[in-house]
Amino acid sequence: MGRFWRLVGAAVLALFSLFVLAQEEDDPVKEAEKQKKQLLEQSGGILPSDLYVEQGEQLFKAKRGPKQASLEACDFGRGPGKLEGVVGRLPRYFFDTRRVEDLDSRIRTCMIRLQGFQPQEIKRSEVVAIAFYLASLSHEQPVTVRPLMPQEKKLYELGERLFYLRAGPRDMGCATCHVTYVGKRAGVLPYSDILKDKRAASHWPAFRYSNDQAWTMADRIRACYSNLSMPAPDFYSEPIIALTLFMNVQANGARMDLPGFIR
Amino acid sequence: MRRFYLPTLLLLLLGLASGQTGQSYIDTELQRLIQAGGQNYSNTLLRQAPDQALCSIHRNKLPAEVLGPFIEEQRKNIKYPADGKLMGDWKQGEPIFNTLARGNCFSCHVGSPLNIGGNVGPSLEKYGQRGTSEAVQKYTYEVIYNTWAYFPCTVMYRFGHGGLLKPEEIAHVVAYLLDPASDFNTKPALKR
Ligand code: HEC
Ligand code: HEC
Repeated sequence: MGRFWRLVGAAVLALFSLFVLAQEEDDPVKEAEKQKKQLLEQSGGILPSDLYVEQGEQLFKAKRGPKQASLEACDFGRGPGKLEGVVGRLPRYFFDTRRVEDLDSRIRTCMIRLQGFQPQEIKRSEVVAIAFYLASLSHEQPVTVRPLMPQEKKLYELGERLFYLRAGPRDMGCATCHVTYVGKRAGVLPYSDILKDKRAASHWPAFRYSNDQAWTMADRIRACYSNLSMPAPDFYSEPIIALTLFMNVQANGARMDLPGFIR
Repeated sequence: MRRFYLPTLLLLLLGLASGQTGQSYIDTELQRLIQAGGQNYSNTLLRQAPDQALCSIHRNKLPAEVLGPFIEEQRKNIKYPADGKLMGDWKQGEPIFNTLARGNCFSCHVGSPLNIGGNVGPSLEKYGQRGTSEAVQKYTYEVIYNTWAYFPCTVMYRFGHGGLLKPEEIAHVVAYLLDPASDFNTKPALKR
């Protein structure tokens, strides 16, 4: 309990520091580092994202669902129960589902297959917490997503085409902001360079200190659609996996910074 | 599967090379992917217009042979206010310019005395210095109504074309930018 309240305190302080705009760094990465350092000092070494990691670990190890099983036997691509570095190797093709899956959808798959949950019973907040736990075990591991299987190659190619697709009343398309207008600001944050800046994909899942939210890449993609009042693709759906695959390949070789800590 | 896939790809590449208008960007494979994203998502994306398809195919950089007909097409669909006045009431233009859910202009442009501007688009600070000649009014109105008539495939929304603002509302925004009495021109712009 004490730990929880310290975490809550830390979150409140994070929100408070938002108002110190005058001293804000221009580079969002530097600014986030500064904020992280401040938070760690104020909270005695605890970040709000640690709460999600801890929750996720509990959910991962607990025997739950109709089958009363834990997720410890889940195979994230390196074999059942091998969890280290897996976040940097997804999305990838899985023979058991015969699908290319990203972190979120693989967690969901294991909740269905190992624990026996019905798809509609799966709580988004639980998937996010588990994603944060797995992320903590991939910290500083390299991104190595290489589409080799035909299914991966095909989805990569489709993801790339989706990335350049313009549609909707605002002519929305990912590349417009993240390729053509890189570094420009329409708000506080500059548009990140998804093709060239490997950091753009290598710090997800991430904690957003400006609004105290835990997001995976799927949440980020959906928010980019919503910001232009476009309907977002469903959670765990193929368009999200395709875009994530395309973006993670651009980040190949980057060392993951997990869970990310961003504005 | 493979046998069907290859000809589709070839056709697509041929289409890319010829750069014609009226071709679609979304082939069967991409359509299937988009449909997997859900009903609302696919309803919006699959309704891609031919000009949006061209920007997608050419990754927002139209080649010379496509550019001319493209701009001509964009100009053709610009509509004007019923009373023919391109400059309306700047006081009604102000909230449109400065509201996220309406024009959202301040997010991308410096110039507003009410909101800190972004730098996605060029600064519009003291835009009114360009005067209120018919040519300036027409250009400003048309850029807002259909940005792609001047900057093909750019990020700025085609406010009139996309149905985001009515012609009369665009005229109010034009007045907000051009009217010498507008706060936009008399008060200092907020900058980062
Ligand atoms: C109108 C502009 C715009 C469009 C269109 C857009 N985004 Fe974004 N995107 C942003 C902004 C602003 C941010 C927050 C700043 C940042 O991190 O880049 C962001 C952040 C991101 C990030 C996190 C980058 C990082 O460094 O943490 C990813 C990944 C991303 N967007 C992917 C996409 C995808 C995929 C699409 C299309 C489906 C898309 N975006 C469309 C504006 C846009
Ligand atoms: C998402 C970003 C964005 C939004 C929103 C936006 N613009 Fe723009 N605007 C641009 C960009 C970018 C350009 C330059 C086009 C280019 O170079 O591709 C531009 C160009 C212009 C120009 C021509 C500038 C010149 O110097 O000739 C005017 C005028 C203009 N915008 C007004 C507006 C108004 C009024 C609104 C709101 C109703 C608005 N813009 C909303 C990004 C935006």
